[in-house]
Amino acid sequence: MTLALVLAALLAVACVVVVALPFLRDPEPVSDTLDELDAGDRRRLELVEARDRALAALKELEFDHRTGTASDDDYRALVGPLRREAASSLQDLERDGAAHPAVGVEEKGRPTGERTS
Amino acid sequence: MAELGRAALVVSLSLSVYALVAGAAAAHLGRRRLAFSAQNALLAAFASTLVASAVLLSALLRNDFSFTYVARTTSEALPTAYTISAFWGGQEGSLLLWLLVLTGFAAAAVRLNRGWARDLIVWVVPVFGAVSTFFAFLLVAVANPFATQAAPGDGLGMTPSLQNPYMLAHPPLLYLGYVGLTVPFAFAIGALISGRTDERWLVATRRWTLVAWTALGIGQLLGAHWAYEEVGWGGYYAWDPVENAALMPWLAATAFLHSVMIQEKRGMLRVWNILLVLLAFSLSLFGTFLTRSGVVNSIHSFTQSSIGPWFLAFIGVVVTVSLALVFWRLPKLRSPTKLESVVSREAAFLYNNLLLLALCLTIFWGVVYPLLSEAVRGEAVVLGREYYDFFLRIFGLPLLLLMGIGPLIAWRRASLRSLLTTFRWPTGAAVVTGLVLLALGAGSSVPGLIAYTFAAFVITTIALEFARGTRARKALGATSWPGAFSSLISRNRRRYGGYVVHAAIVLLAIGIAGSSAFDTVAEAKLTRGQSMEIGDYRLEYRTLDERIAANATEIRAELAVSRGGRDLGTLEAGKNAYTIEEQVSNEVGIRSDPLTGEDLFVIAEQIDPDGAVYFRVFVKPLVNLIWIAGLVFLLGSLITLWPDAREQRRLVERAREIGVPATR
Amino acid sequence: MARTASPARLVIALSVAAVLAVFLLYTSIAGGGNPSLAPSELAGRSGEVQLAGLVVGPVAGDAHVGGLTFRLRDIGEKSGKAVPVRYAGSVPDLFKVGRHIVVDGRLRGGTFVAEPGSMITKCPSKYAPKQTGDPA
Repeated sequence: MTLALVLAALLAVACVVVVALPFLRDPEPVSDTLDELDAGDRRRLELVEARDRALAALKELEFDHRTGTASDDDYRALVGPLRREAASSLQDLERDGAAHPAVGVEEKGRPTGERTS
Repeated sequence: MAELGRAALVVSLSLSVYALVAGAAAAHLGRRRLAFSAQNALLAAFASTLVASAVLLSALLRNDFSFTYVARTTSEALPTAYTISAFWGGQEGSLLLWLLVLTGFAAAAVRLNRGWARDLIVWVVPVFGAVSTFFAFLLVAVANPFATQAAPGDGLGMTPSLQNPYMLAHPPLLYLGYVGLTVPFAFAIGALISGRTDERWLVATRRWTLVAWTALGIGQLLGAHWAYEEVGWGGYYAWDPVENAALMPWLAATAFLHSVMIQEKRGMLRVWNILLVLLAFSLSLFGTFLTRSGVVNSIHSFTQSSIGPWFLAFIGVVVTVSLALVFWRLPKLRSPTKLESVVSREAAFLYNNLLLLALCLTIFWGVVYPLLSEAVRGEAVVLGREYYDFFLRIFGLPLLLLMGIGPLIAWRRASLRSLLTTFRWPTGAAVVTGLVLLALGAGSSVPGLIAYTFAAFVITTIALEFARGTRARKALGATSWPGAFSSLISRNRRRYGGYVVHAAIVLLAIGIAGSSAFDTVAEAKLTRGQSMEIGDYRLEYRTLDERIAANATEIRAELAVSRGGRDLGTLEAGKNAYTIEEQVSNEVGIRSDPLTGEDLFVIAEQIDPDGAVYFRVFVKPLVNLIWIAGLVFLLGSLITLWPDAREQRRLVERAREIGVPATR
Repeated sequence: MARTASPARLVIALSVAAVLAVFLLYTSIAGGGNPSLAPSELAGRSGEVQLAGLVVGPVAGDAHVGGLTFRLRDIGEKSGKAVPVRYAGSVPDLFKVGRHIVVDGRLRGGTFVAEPGSMITKCPSKYAPKQTGDPA
């Protein structure tokens, strides 16, 4: 019975340590704010997603055309609007990139917590 | 050691509460270290639940009957494998397994995604914490697996029908499925709360949903196989509420898997997807509520066990809060694109969703109708098999056909003229198949004939897709046909893996149609030496043997089987009388024909003292296709799940473009 | 964009209407199922019902020759009126005195005549034992 209690106590202590770990490792951080995507990043993310969707749709249309699922007529009817969509989403991205250049990306480990721009 | 188990569960509960509260605070206030601390709490909760599980498992293996749970679910004579399965065989143990899988999945899902979706993860953690708190609370306060007693000499033993290999794998797989659905749900709610309604929550949870869905599907097939062989009434699915409990979330998850593809390709149906994942998760909770609460067992009282109301309350909270969140975020969920044509792949997916949901809700209605009618009229009205069979046909047959139509339609818009060309071969194959089968006598069951015809249509479609795709890849410069084939699949894993899964469903449909619409049954009371006939089989009752096994007395009637004069060997059918459990179980004799896939299914219904046996015999055509379908299903899922290096690179690239650290 | 409301909404609305129509059609033709009653509620009821109760002996007869006879009492009652039942067809192996069973049929002249093969035993451990306190 006492063995059980000792093991239970050890377990509890271990769990407390694990939970407190972030505070123990970094007692005086430069910044404690959560690294989040700001509005600019989110807008960029949406544009990137739109661009990827448009490019993937084009690729899939090509594939469907090659396998015969999309007939020549269907292909001709669809490829134009898709190409325009892809082009415009690429343009949107470029415009966004020119207006808000991304600064200082941390490639390894956690971000320093400093976010510029 | 029971105290250690109890303490570990209390620790798990505390950690879950911490993950919920601290996680929510960290997300709301934007505190980094607190957020990591909450994430760690999920991991620690898994560890402490693991400790509790180890305590229970060791008590089972040691036959420690001072644990009330162990005494109730096992006995000394029980074989080790089944002693282990007793872990999830009872109420408390199965809840512990649920919590173990839940905390494990939560810790893993958070850990794997925190690098690239940090702002989403911070809100996912408290959701996991909330669900985990519920189950940990049940284990600590309502259904304690570590209750102790004065140890009796021996345990009560395990129900004989559960002492079967399928019952070893069936519950854990179902739990992987049920609990696995928590992951997309948590991410969806996290996306709603954080306002991060982009596609990251879908991308992060796609494989989790697939794994859960596959586990749920395979688990159900194993359960059906168990019912077929072990319960032995000649069928494999009885539309029992307990069976429906697993089918409903599976159908909702199937709809979800399809509609997320629309969101990924076209950005549409965002609200729909969140509602679907909420439905799937709620149904999985509802399903486990059905099997636990005693609603199923007692026809009259609403809940017999005290655990039922807790589950209902939790489901109520989940649904209410989730719907409120959806309503709050509705403006953000508006999608920019619209459905362009009712003849398009998007539309086909939409029809698929509607049919799946219709079937799911019909089954749900059938399950709750007795409860509702009792509450309203004081009288429980039960809907029978005919109800379910009717709606399975009405919604299932069009779904079957749709599986063949969907892949042949292009995205956005397809002209009717192109459809006529692409549908030529499949339609031809279907018509020919239908006519041939009609000539062979399949007209005896119209739904069965329709099922076969549609199956032919879909199989042709799938074969054509593989053929055309391989040819296209070869034209692009692949070295050989096998090379073209394998590169086709590896470059389009989701599409072709999906086709394999569709093929599995077709096999399932053929097997179900054959064994239920075109089966034959015969009954006879035979004394030793007498024979009976069914179809073109002839069975002669030879001897009656009695054997003593480890925990049962086995009585077997031996029959000689022949067909068209040719000897096909012997078959045994009989009963087992279990000593400790004081129960009798049916042991059916099954002879599977490797060529035709049909089963000769023999039940020794009644064994008289004078050795005369009342036999009930079935011939079930094509029934083994159902089990083969399970294997094909697994193969298709594996192909779809397989990690794709190209996809990984794309995600990393995208992260870099946005300026988010791309670490995992 | 001059496009009007997405056809998706129309499709969904029409489908929901279609499903409801099929549903209502079915229930009006095939009926709404059988009431599930306890033996004490059976008196005077005609028509097909589902009877759920506790098996009380003596059990006599042969289910395949002439019919198995036994009695059913309300679940949870220690004593009281039990309804005589005559049953033909497959008997599940869990059937015995003291079990909860469910059987379809109708009351004829004081005896509940069951539909052949409609007996289901409601044992707690039928699928997977989740019930506490019930004898195995």
